[in-house]
Amino acid sequence: MTETQTNINMKNRTKIKLVLDTIIFIAFLIAMEPRSSGIAIHEWLATSLIAVLVVHLLLSWDWITRITRRFIGKINNQSRFNYILNWSLFIDGTVIMLSGFMISESLMPALGIQFPRNFAWRGIHELSTNLFILLLGLHTALHWSWVVETFKRYVFQPVFRLFATSEKKDIAA
Amino acid sequence: MKILGRILIILAAFALVMGIAYTVVSAANAASSAIGVPAFERGEDGVRPQIPNHERPEFPGGEGHGLRGGVSGLRLILGTVKNIGIIAIIVALVLWLKDFMRKRKRDLQQVSE
Repeated sequence: MTETQTNINMKNRTKIKLVLDTIIFIAFLIAMEPRSSGIAIHEWLATSLIAVLVVHLLLSWDWITRITRRFIGKINNQSRFNYILNWSLFIDGTVIMLSGFMISESLMPALGIQFPRNFAWRGIHELSTNLFILLLGLHTALHWSWVVETFKRYVFQPVFRLFATSEKKDIAA
Repeated sequence: MKILGRILIILAAFALVMGIAYTVVSAANAASSAIGVPAFERGEDGVRPQIPNHERPEFPGGEGHGLRGGVSGLRLILGTVKNIGIIAIIVALVLWLKDFMRKRKRDLQQVSE
């Protein structure tokens, strides 16, 4: 593969990641408010996020395998912390999913599955969701420079360029 | 094929974590039942608490079903702003801390030189 092809692949991957992460973030914010959006939207939206999260993990696969191999060896502290934080997010996210399935009022009954009622799962669901916000804040903070740089390159600059060209056209006309 | 394998690994990890979490919660429930914690306190349904005047018990997250459109829309916006606010505070704190550490490291290096 030539260097140009690799650059194009990297650019495409970054764009896909940006779109995907924005979707995850917005969907998460909507799913976080079941009392306003309704239980059905909350459950179906959160469950559909599993597919998007799998793609998110697939796009970061190289980083995951690289750090997993070198975790005990020589890596910088930020990567190690980031790795532990990502695992915490994964575990917490899975606990949210599981407890959500256990207290499901719309999704599971629609699939014909009924779990015995146990309000302990509700407590676990709330606790793990609150923890998830904190972990998500840390995750965003650690990737903040990437977020700023990518938004600048693929969102703000193209929009700015679009306005600049239309202004030039107006002046030329 | 490679991607399919990776998807299976991710799903297996999901299933493993779910299995462990389910086992831990079930074990905790069984342990609390063994030491004599009443079924309702363990969170199990079927045994109802004695509530005076048949008042409806309140559960966190249980209220608010069927809110009117305007109210639920406002609630969604306020809730979203609150969550974004929390994340923004954490991001600001971490960035400030990182900046502070970097400056301190630089100052210490300058002093040692």
